[in-house]
Amino acid sequence: MSFEVPSEGHLHWSESEYKEGRASVWKTIIILTIVTVVEVGVAMIYDHFFPDGQGKIFINIFMAIASVVKVWYIMGVFMHLGHETKGFKMTVLLPFLFLVWAIIAFTLEGDSWNAMRQLLNVF
Amino acid sequence: MATATIEHSTGHVKETEQELWKGGRSPFKAGYGKIMMWYFLISDTFTFACLLITYGALRFTLADNWPKPAEVFSSIPLDIFHGVKAPLVFVSFMTFLLIVSSYTMVRAVQEGYLMNKWGVVKFIIPTAACGALFLFCQYLEWTHLIHEGMTATTASPTTKVVNFGQLFFVITGFHGLHVLGGVILLTWLLIATINGRFEKVGHYEMVEKIGLYWHFVDLVWVYVFLCFYLL
Repeated sequence: MSFEVPSEGHLHWSESEYKEGRASVWKTIIILTIVTVVEVGVAMIYDHFFPDGQGKIFINIFMAIASVVKVWYIMGVFMHLGHETKGFKMTVLLPFLFLVWAIIAFTLEGDSWNAMRQLLNVF
Repeated sequence: MATATIEHSTGHVKETEQELWKGGRSPFKAGYGKIMMWYFLISDTFTFACLLITYGALRFTLADNWPKPAEVFSSIPLDIFHGVKAPLVFVSFMTFLLIVSSYTMVRAVQEGYLMNKWGVVKFIIPTAACGALFLFCQYLEWTHLIHEGMTATTASPTTKVVNFGQLFFVITGFHGLHVLGGVILLTWLLIATINGRFEKVGHYEMVEKIGLYWHFVDLVWVYVFLCFYLL
């Protein structure tokens, strides 16, 4: 049985490409580690100084941005999406716009359910 | 019949294949399997997004009664520090395991580009080991929380609402199932690499495809971690 499988793409690297790739992976892993440590640190410090949860919204915005940064690096460098063709990047990234809608819609919906519960005194 | 020749970076024509994508070449300059793996991951992203958005909606619904993560996840399983409260420490260690495994996975993919068989083997082993260790940590965390009284149908003193336990076990369980699938795939990949399967094929694209799946598992954890432990 022959194992020859047709395939396309950049599946064989030269020595210089390999060195370049290894350096970018190192840079990325350091960024990911730093962002995670900062996230956990901020969460711990916040809980220590503000146990009642004042100004939580700012912490949440910071956490959301930090997570997007992490996902950006994981997809761009580790999953190599940054090196794909533009058309392929679009087919992967554009469907996520639906999620932006879904997050906004269901957050508002949850808020409305909450208001309804208060109104009807369900608690 | 249309024929296509593929130029590789080494400059010489590596293989001649007939009707690679019917039109002679892939429109995205990438292998069919890799592109389909990406599209599978997009659909899986939507599954996870549905679960996490449900979490968000229910959390807003029960805003005043929602538990604080620092209280729910305040202790370390096995109680190695004898009752010392250390919120987020154990789960940070689990996150660290996934980051390390992502690094070793991407290194395995790069060794594959160089056709370095033992380099691939060297980096797949720690990747699979980190995945298995992550699952073990999840087992410890789950049993700890269940002992505290938080299950899919009951609330513990710290969680207050039943919904928190339901969402926690469904979402982290579904993620854990993906990790388990990844560990199984990596084990198969390790055996196939050692058997020299990919040297016969002529490229290590399979390492890249399974690598994509593994990074996706890490990527989902970023959001599970965000929703349950940080927000």
